[in-house]
Amino acid sequence: MWIPIQINENSAEPLYHQIETQLRSLIISGTITEGTLLPSIRELAGDLKCSVITVRRVYQDLENEGLLRTRQGTGTFVSHVGDGTMEGYKQDVIRKALESAVDVGLSVHCSEEELTVMFTEIVKNKYGKRE
Amino acid sequence: MKGEKLMVEQAVELRNVCKKRRHKTIGPLNVSLPQGYITALVGQNGSGKSTLLHLLMQLSFPGEGEVRWFGEAYVDGLPLKLRQQMAYVPEVSQSEENFWTAAEAAEFRRHWYPSWDQGYFEELIGKFEVPHNARLGKMSKGERRKFEIAAALAAKPRLLLLDEPSSGLDPFAWKIMIETLQRYMDEHEATIIISTHIVEEVRRLADYIVLMHQGQLLGMTEKDSLFGSWSEIWVQIEGEQELQELAAELPQALELKLETPGVASLLTQQIYLYEKRIQDLGVKVLKNRSLELDEILSLWTRGHRPVLIDQKRGE
Repeated sequence: MWIPIQINENSAEPLYHQIETQLRSLIISGTITEGTLLPSIRELAGDLKCSVITVRRVYQDLENEGLLRTRQGTGTFVSHVGDGTMEGYKQDVIRKALESAVDVGLSVHCSEEELTVMFTEIVKNKYGKRE
Repeated sequence: MKGEKLMVEQAVELRNVCKKRRHKTIGPLNVSLPQGYITALVGQNGSGKSTLLHLLMQLSFPGEGEVRWFGEAYVDGLPLKLRQQMAYVPEVSQSEENFWTAAEAAEFRRHWYPSWDQGYFEELIGKFEVPHNARLGKMSKGERRKFEIAAALAAKPRLLLLDEPSSGLDPFAWKIMIETLQRYMDEHEATIIISTHIVEEVRRLADYIVLMHQGQLLGMTEKDSLFGSWSEIWVQIEGEQELQELAAELPQALELKLETPGVASLLTQQIYLYEKRIQDLGVKVLKNRSLELDEILSLWTRGHRPVLIDQKRGE
């Protein structure tokens, strides 16, 4: 199975962290569904051109988080992801995106009022269009 | 994770190994290659990669120092039982088998390897499209190579040594080789030591990299700890004088030069530290890119050892 993980070579983010974050999102967002058998450690390492050491670390971390489980001899599967985890994750992603937008605002010396107006406008615009 | 790391056992170990040749001396080499991983031996021609593999096959013996296999030094020769768990694809194929076809050579090798898997051998020969009736000595370099790889794997080795296995392979055969080695590692508790010049091979296969240069071992590292270790940065700069000022502020930067009027480039490690530093100096960073594995290894060969990522995290 091919997993849509993309490594950004120019990012300062360590390799294992990039892979872990993306794999976690794929599982929590439901893109990779419960019960899916993931590629073997060696296979995924080959695809991503990283070492098995890195992939093993990612699988272990996500197993500790309860997102994956390993069955001896069969491989690593996606576990059941609770609705609570899903909701927490959603909020987390949005919060991070908003924070970085506000950071941009700060860096160009945008005032709080300006930013709030812009934000409301964008929300109205986007949500209005969807109806 | 940490506990598991401690449990990793060594497939082979070199302790102060020296080998004097007529024109050069190799060593002292000190290195341990872990079981269950693929280690790539990289380095320029004549850096000592093949000699290292010879020492591991006891085709050559150290003048000084000691080699250990799975924890034991077999100074009186490798026992048959261990040899039967090792396979080797030499840089130049042995001429003894030149008059045999692939099947005849397999027949001979089967006698020596109790775990020889004939079905697997035939599967690989089929996949690689090695000619059936041609004598090995009459085959093209690539065809012979494919036979050697198939025969080495069919012996189901626990330790597989490959000396530039892909030389002469066309891109299709190369891809099959990569996938076959990955699958083999997946299905067996094996260790592979591969000497190679092909960066893509290192990228796709290796877990660890051992870098050799002029008979010395420059170092061994987990491949991924090299990721992002060096970057090239382009900065906006007024002219030669500002460039000199920047150079004085960044003594660790390499190859600082004016690219075009107004733009200079430089190489640096740990970009997230220096990018901010440069900006604080009032210099605008235009762009940056991480150096590729081959560029990192080439810098290392020239004496610029990378700060390894894992060491930095203190792990």
